[in-house]
Amino acid sequence: MTFFLVAKAAMAQKELLSFDENNKYIYYQVVDQPNLIADTLYSRAVYFLKAAYPKLKVSQNKTNESITGTGQFVVTSTLLLKHEDGEINFNYTIESKEHKYRYWLTSFIFTPYKTDRYGKSVLVDGIEIPLESGVAKLTKKQIDSYLDQTGAYSKQFGATLKHYMLKTSSLKKETPLKKISTKDW
Amino acid sequence: MKKKLLLLFIAVSAFSFALKAQDTVKTTSDAPLVVYGSVDTYYKYDFSRHANIGTYFASDNNSVSIGMIDLGLKKKVGKASFVGELAFGPRGQYQSVPNGDGAAANANNSFNIQNLYVSFDVTDKFNLTAGYMATFVGYEVISPVGNFNYSTSYLFGAGPFQNAGFKATYAFSDKVSLMAGIFNDQWNNYSAVTQSYTDGSGAIHQNGEVSTFGAQLMVAPVKGWTAYLNFMSGKYSGTIEDLTTSYQITDAFKLGLNAANKTGAGVADYSGVALYPQLAVSKAVTLGVRAESFKLKAFDTTPSTTYSAFTLTANIKSGPLTFIPEIRFDHNKDMPFTDSSFAPTKTASQFVLAAVYGF
Repeated sequence: MTFFLVAKAAMAQKELLSFDENNKYIYYQVVDQPNLIADTLYSRAVYFLKAAYPKLKVSQNKTNESITGTGQFVVTSTLLLKHEDGEINFNYTIESKEHKYRYWLTSFIFTPYKTDRYGKSVLVDGIEIPLESGVAKLTKKQIDSYLDQTGAYSKQFGATLKHYMLKTSSLKKETPLKKISTKDW
Repeated sequence: MKKKLLLLFIAVSAFSFALKAQDTVKTTSDAPLVVYGSVDTYYKYDFSRHANIGTYFASDNNSVSIGMIDLGLKKKVGKASFVGELAFGPRGQYQSVPNGDGAAANANNSFNIQNLYVSFDVTDKFNLTAGYMATFVGYEVISPVGNFNYSTSYLFGAGPFQNAGFKATYAFSDKVSLMAGIFNDQWNNYSAVTQSYTDGSGAIHQNGEVSTFGAQLMVAPVKGWTAYLNFMSGKYSGTIEDLTTSYQITDAFKLGLNAANKTGAGVADYSGVALYPQLAVSKAVTLGVRAESFKLKAFDTTPSTTYSAFTLTANIKSGPLTFIPEIRFDHNKDMPFTDSSFAPTKTASQFVLAAVYGF
């Protein structure tokens, strides 16, 4: 019973993904924050990216309260030992409105690694496999595993974003230097 | 009843733990110690009924033979990383790495080392690396996982296999990077070996020079196309200019090219060009051709001689295992080959069936 519950939990990650209007995998969430205004949510999202995901590429659109960008994460498999299979690149968007925000990750594209002559793992040049059409190039086991890892990454992204959105002072405050005057006593 | 409640408590705790473990899935890797490598085995039949084509690896005729076990370790923590790669077997030892360090006492002592180096990322764009490394020159490599064809080209055999030294690489962007380095006096040696001196007691000691300069310009003009312009020159190893490039033109079709010219000290002078078109005909099967022309230049009274080689290879993949059937035809008008009666002949041909498991 216990094993069944653990196994079911582990397999659930790929079910977090849906399909959008263009039949692309998407992780989409809308989160209510009744006590926060759009400007605050926007600035906290900016800080979240800087602090938690500094390597993601970011482009900000202040007018629309929208942040977009790209990122990547490594996917692995286990054949006796953990093996880095490649990277998944994705696009993300974070938008804020009064008292709520939404975000989504989409356009997941897998590029495999190969081991180069120096023993380093490098991306195979020119091979990009959208996960939606992975069946043509990858095995079912690979696709299922990469979708699980994509779901887990997206969920973690959202959980961390939520944490930063709830932080009361997400931006660094400048504290004045404490000075003592020996003249007044 | 108490037992049932206890069981229920354990089940709920386990479920909560599983969910928590998933919630705290790390988004960046821990950079564990990575083990990688390969094993390979092959059967070759030369149609002259004896070994005829003198390029590297797949050397045994009419025999189920082994290539090598290749085992590499690597780890990166922060900015620092290392790679240590060992190989055991004909391909990984006497066919690709030197025995010993040049000293007579180590003449039969293989260190089995393919790569041994440390690396430091000074910044995201600037890297320093030092040690004994696979050469940056050329298209083909020693590892069977790194080549499409199982037999190797004349260009591969004539060029360097490893260079020990120190190099700095700067990535101007994803599309352009430049490497420059200084390397030991000779190719393929663990240590610099050219010089020696005799001490007061008459004993001879090894000494060397770090006297080879190397550079590599990498350009990636469009997605899927990468080109490396390589240059290496030293007073004991000669000068080599090399172009290595490959272009994944479509999802299915890839075209590779290697061209090189070697002059000066060291091994005999040569030049050559090889073309590598490959076509993926299915998820598991890719067909490829290697068409090569290779010239050993004239030296003293020895005239130049030119080889041409046409190799047709298939890669049939099943997970980490690749089956490689291959047929090859070589030609040289100067008749360096022998036929089944051991009479000189202009042509040679062989069939190879290899299996390579990469991990």
